[in-house]
Amino acid sequence: MGSGVSREGLTRMTKIEVVVNGDDARHVADLLTSSGANGYTMLSGVSGLGHSGFHQGRLHFNDRDALKMLIAVVPDDSADDVVTGLRALLSERPGVLFVSDTYVSRPEYFT
Amino acid sequence: MTTTTTTARPVADRARLLAEVANAARIVPPVWPLGQFIAVNPLQGLVDLGFEQATAEARKWLGAATFPSRAHVATAVRSGRITADDVAAALAEHAAAAPDVHDAHDDEVDGVLRALGGDTEADARQLPAMPRTAAERYDARHATSVAATVDERVAAVCAAYAGSGAAWAGPTDRGFWSWWSRGDEPAADGLLDALDRIGLAPGDHADELRGQLSRLPGWAGFARWCDEWAAGDAPVRTISLIDYLAVRMTVEADALEGQPDRPLAPLPRPRREPSYAPSEPAGLGERVTDHALDVIALEAYERNHRMRLLDELSRSWLSTRAANPSAAQVVFCIDTRSEVFRRHLEAVGPYQTIGFAGFFGVPLRFRPAGSDASFASCPVLVTPDVEVTAQPATRALRRKKIAASASAARQQAKAAPGAAFAFAEASGLVEGPLAAARTFLRRRTKSAAGDAIAVLDVDGFGLEARAAIAETALRTMGLTDGFAPLVVLCGHGSTSTANPHFASLDCGACGGNRGGPNARVAATFLNDADVRVELAARGIHIPDTTFFAAAEHDTTLDTVTVFDVAGVPPTHADALKSLLAAVEEAAEATRLERGGRLGVSARDARRPWRRALDWASVRPEWGLAGNAAFIVADRNRTAGADLEGRAFLHSYDRDADAEGTALETILTAPMVVAHWINSQYYFSTVDPDVYGAGDKTLHNPIGAVGVLAGPSGDLRIGLPRQSVFAGDSTYHEPMRLLTVVDAPVDRIESVIARNAILRHLFDGRWVTLVAAPASVGAPWLRRRPGGEWVPA
Repeated sequence: MGSGVSREGLTRMTKIEVVVNGDDARHVADLLTSSGANGYTMLSGVSGLGHSGFHQGRLHFNDRDALKMLIAVVPDDSADDVVTGLRALLSERPGVLFVSDTYVSRPEYFT
Repeated sequence: MTTTTTTARPVADRARLLAEVANAARIVPPVWPLGQFIAVNPLQGLVDLGFEQATAEARKWLGAATFPSRAHVATAVRSGRITADDVAAALAEHAAAAPDVHDAHDDEVDGVLRALGGDTEADARQLPAMPRTAAERYDARHATSVAATVDERVAAVCAAYAGSGAAWAGPTDRGFWSWWSRGDEPAADGLLDALDRIGLAPGDHADELRGQLSRLPGWAGFARWCDEWAAGDAPVRTISLIDYLAVRMTVEADALEGQPDRPLAPLPRPRREPSYAPSEPAGLGERVTDHALDVIALEAYERNHRMRLLDELSRSWLSTRAANPSAAQVVFCIDTRSEVFRRHLEAVGPYQTIGFAGFFGVPLRFRPAGSDASFASCPVLVTPDVEVTAQPATRALRRKKIAASASAARQQAKAAPGAAFAFAEASGLVEGPLAAARTFLRRRTKSAAGDAIAVLDVDGFGLEARAAIAETALRTMGLTDGFAPLVVLCGHGSTSTANPHFASLDCGACGGNRGGPNARVAATFLNDADVRVELAARGIHIPDTTFFAAAEHDTTLDTVTVFDVAGVPPTHADALKSLLAAVEEAAEATRLERGGRLGVSARDARRPWRRALDWASVRPEWGLAGNAAFIVADRNRTAGADLEGRAFLHSYDRDADAEGTALETILTAPMVVAHWINSQYYFSTVDPDVYGAGDKTLHNPIGAVGVLAGPSGDLRIGLPRQSVFAGDSTYHEPMRLLTVVDAPVDRIESVIARNAILRHLFDGRWVTLVAAPASVGAPWLRRRPGGEWVPA
């Protein structure tokens, strides 16, 4: 809370971000929705440098091998369930998972 | 069925289970329904592991053979198809991968050659799979056959559910698990219950699930397709993986509970798993193990082909040819079957041919005239969001709808599970003479009728989308100037009768469909004046005198049908007429060449429709059998070379692609599809039992889903035996794809560096990559995993 931005009136929740191959995005989406997330945001055309090298963001005729990012916000008490599934999924396939605290103005959207 | 739990499972347990199921499913190939059958690498889920490790997993879990049989290799050695030079080079490559061992020396080469060329009564390399499931472990202890009983029951239930058209199959709006269990318990809970009943601890779930999926890889693979690839409007009743496993494990738990010696104690896992990569030396020194012999044999076999192909290409590659103006340019699909036709067409007259993916860069869903359903007509790697409809005149539409519904009812009756035989009994008096008539009568094929006369509604594509599609297509195929007055975009399809795997002979770039609609849409865009203005703004100037026509090549008949002939301007009518005359001449030569490979007389080769319309024909054409190479280069480089219908040819202008944008598109999409095709042919050949669909004469279609070999059993995957074998002999040469690229090494490396899929394919030894020489005397260079370039 040291950034100076007021979080007065906001509700603390957990933000989960996952970057995976486009091929695996459907698994992540299924896990999110079946383990506590009401919804998610999916970004395609994600590019960047990872530990195994660079990843091109957008390919002309291949939607499956470019990276996708899924973002979900869940109540803190659901976060462990979601993370448990995602960690199991990522144990055998490439991808990164970020879990962080976040604040939302409309908590009812995420519960 | 027995259920033991009424309380809901913790969410975390379900989540972990879902993830473990998804991971376990990587061991089985996704199995597309028959109507959308496309070639896929059956180890596609493991491609990131590399060929060596992925095939080890296949041997371990599926008991699959993953290398050419020793008998095939021995024949190759004895016929000179594998030489001492090939073996020496393969041994050197083997040494390069394991730098601690010495270079090959002559006596070792001789020893390997003797070992590979010796008599092989049987392939001893294929070990029985280790017990993978609870029932298998029980059987191993008690000499029972519980596992086989479980398989039989599960396969029957799957066939009853997924095969459409059976009135007794139950309601379609319930999932597989709910339909079978007649309850509302979530499938994940049902699966966890069954795992508990069998006595498996959570730490053992992952291996158990993988083993369970490996027992019936066909039905498991179909469930994987349903989870990972099916669109919302899939033309079949889908089965999710979690539903499949919940049913399967419950059947297994029930079966085991019915056995004596209950409760079932979990068997201890073996202390050391059986070796599926036998490490016993084959008597050839310390490092040449039996498994290494397989690796060396495959590399030697591939190297022999590679050197012969590069020799053939060297003759044409840098030869100087006068740039004669072309009367017409004809763009064919990269499909290996196009190469034969292109070569003969070029020999007939001043025609330039170009290779490009047969969907012509237009991702679309196509709704045929009079149909209520549409299908994706583009590579399965792409998800189309625009639908194109074919709209005939009203009276024609009405007639077509009536005919379509009658045909659908008849097809449905034939396709119901177990109904193929019943249908034959009930309708034999009528169908028998019809089938006989179909054998002897030549009739118009669907390529020349039906949708060909319909108008296509392409309004779903806006101007920006049309221009982007046109630009990408032209730049990727290297056609940005030098347009001929007539450019023909020629898709392709095939013609066969009573062939459940017909889609495997159609255009893979169109998702296992005929490519005519895509060609027509692309031609429409390229003739669009507004699109041409946009293209000019992007630096591509199509002359006003250039007209794009659309056509479709039938690869069984070797006929070419031109669409929308009435729309061809009078100024281009003569050019089209001349081209069609040349096409007919080329077609005749092509039919004779293909007939030679099919082993038919010249007379029969000239009458391909007899094979195509013969309901008893098991091989209307060879399809892509023999495929071996993917060549990315201007056609000038390869024109004149006889590539024997074995190469995918993608045109590419190395001088117009300094950034590698077009090359990146070619390698990450068409080449990936070519690798899938190549891998399917490879694995269907090296293990026709596990990865092949078996004998066509025994095929029993299960709805629109797939085929069984006979009345029951697993859904068969891969290609029919007759697609890769000629009698008892292997027709298709099982080799991993060789990709030849006409581009500087640093450009190729930059494309690889930014695409993980290419690193997996090249570094993982799924595909061998060769860079072409830029000047006379320069060597062909081969890329080793990691990026070292060595003489090919």
